[in-house]
Amino acid sequence: MKTLVTGANGFLGRRVVAALLARGHSVRALVRPATNASALEQLGVTDFIRADLVTGHLGDSFDGVEAVLHLAAATSGDEHHQFAATVVGTERLLTAMTGSPCKRLILASSFAVYDWSCIKGTLDERSPVVSSGTLYARDGYCIAKSWQERVTRRVAASSGWELVVLRPGFIWGKDHTGLAACGQPLGPVQIVVGPMSRMPMTHVDNCADLFARVVDNPRASGETFNVVDGPGERIWTFLGDHFRGIGHTRVRIPIPYALTYVAVKTLFGRLAERSPKLPGLLVPCQLEARVKPLTFTNRKAAELLGWHPPLSYRECLVRSFDVQG
Amino acid sequence: MKSALIGAGRIARQHLTCLQGLPGVTVAAVCDRSPAAAESAAERHGVRAWFTDHHKMLAEIRPDIVHITTPASSHYQLALDCLQAGAHVIVEKPITETFDQLEMLLRQGADRQKAVVEDLNCLFNRAPREIAARIASGDFGAVTHVEVAICIDAEPGGILEFLPHMASLVHQFVGPHRTVHTLWRRTDGSSGPADEFRAQIDAAQGTASLVYSVNAQPDAFWLRVYGRKMLATANLWETRLTFNRVRPGVAAFGSALDRLEEGRTIRQAARRTLLGKFLGSPGTYEGLFELLPRTYRALAESAELPVTPQQIREVSCLVQALKSEHAE
Repeated sequence: MKTLVTGANGFLGRRVVAALLARGHSVRALVRPATNASALEQLGVTDFIRADLVTGHLGDSFDGVEAVLHLAAATSGDEHHQFAATVVGTERLLTAMTGSPCKRLILASSFAVYDWSCIKGTLDERSPVVSSGTLYARDGYCIAKSWQERVTRRVAASSGWELVVLRPGFIWGKDHTGLAACGQPLGPVQIVVGPMSRMPMTHVDNCADLFARVVDNPRASGETFNVVDGPGERIWTFLGDHFRGIGHTRVRIPIPYALTYVAVKTLFGRLAERSPKLPGLLVPCQLEARVKPLTFTNRKAAELLGWHPPLSYRECLVRSFDVQG
Repeated sequence: MKSALIGAGRIARQHLTCLQGLPGVTVAAVCDRSPAAAESAAERHGVRAWFTDHHKMLAEIRPDIVHITTPASSHYQLALDCLQAGAHVIVEKPITETFDQLEMLLRQGADRQKAVVEDLNCLFNRAPREIAARIASGDFGAVTHVEVAICIDAEPGGILEFLPHMASLVHQFVGPHRTVHTLWRRTDGSSGPADEFRAQIDAAQGTASLVYSVNAQPDAFWLRVYGRKMLATANLWETRLTFNRVRPGVAAFGSALDRLEEGRTIRQAARRTLLGKFLGSPGTYEGLFELLPRTYRALAESAELPVTPQQIREVSCLVQALKSEHAE
């Protein structure tokens, strides 16, 4: 199946392209005009569209394409930049796609779209997503990804497309092991809030494997899947592995989640409603979205698609840190 | 008064937040070419209607005032359309790309008795206002020179966005310019946009120098005004404002007193800046939160606008002079 991959040269994009090629699909890679795409060329990609999603011409991108795998999104920058790059870019891609015969779209959404404040126990695909009333207290990434999913679902529904939404948790891998939930460095120590909380993690190769599998799987059509490798490693455990992997000797200082949450809620709860400049850890709903003690599951992908992460946690550590398991 | 906004980007949020707190003002609609940007801005700020076509918005909403917060290249046509639809316009800086366009807008505004206001918000930050007040009181003495220096860790090319800020401050303290000399430099020698800019300006009531640097750190927006009796120093991205003055008596003693007072003022400003971040103050946009209420009040009372057409014209003239040196 010929698949157009946006964000193909990104951290996840390259691994998804490799997984697609390994499964016999052909890939058209949409990359920015100035991108050095040698890594994709080494994978065997020859079909490139060089365009900026926000400003570029996308009209020819869909010729002969049977599915679109939309990974492109901004993961840094201020709120405005993330919204423009992620949401406006998606709007333009979808508008261009409506003029093409392509009817299948796979969207890379995120765990960020869930309303962590309302969820207890296990977070799965039935958990509520953040509503308009609380969305704007969250960070720019959450706002952008929520709007991206909202816009995509609307257009897909009105255009009669087959839409698959995948929501990965923290995607990690080689050179991407410093996850947001892993605490705050403070001089020689690392402050770790909620050390026993689990992180919704997926190794980039496991994540890419699921993306490649759903491209032509009719059972995935119309469905939403969380992409996690399992119930999640504890922050303390992963941080220890991370420090060992990168040869760090920083001392970890644990602070219980419940204590932190009560303190943040009491001291900053009211302020957070009117101050957009507070650090995320001092905004109750943002603190929850990083370290609230929940468990995670990939049961739906397993039951519906028969998917199991190909790599174990230990194998992922070996790949990510170039160490022996 | 019924307001509307075109362009739901970064600065739009500041306008909408400010308008939400203004008594007697209703924001009736937001417009943006991106449906999601328009809808999200409306949702976030409790605005009932959103549009992607400004003609449709003007026809359906019939706003009294339109805020234009789009990229500069679209300001002229949008402002013209709004004026022709019978609305006052508040336009982000730079108001137009050419002086001819500005003249056309001001003429249209005058003919239709509608206000054309450029968001020269820097002038309404606390520091420039306080310096202006001291000048007006006679304590400061006549201004001889102004320095404006912006150091910002940003992509090269951003200087064009800051020229109106710099020009408005120069104009505020030394009046309309007579001659300018500029230096535009790309540090790495490539053909990309300049990342260093310098200017020397001879103006009606004194001189000015401008610095814009992508390479110098830390980030700051320095304003230094030299008077015959005082020197004012402010960082407009913080709340810092200090005055050095001529004191009667032994010069060395007066200088030491100045330093002590300066230290105390800087500490207070640092606390205020930090507290402002926690309390959700407008921060670097404090001038906008002063300019917009004044503008709405002036319109309601048919009084003189806080930013006058003549001021916009003279500031724009300086911006064009600085830019034309770049083009050469």
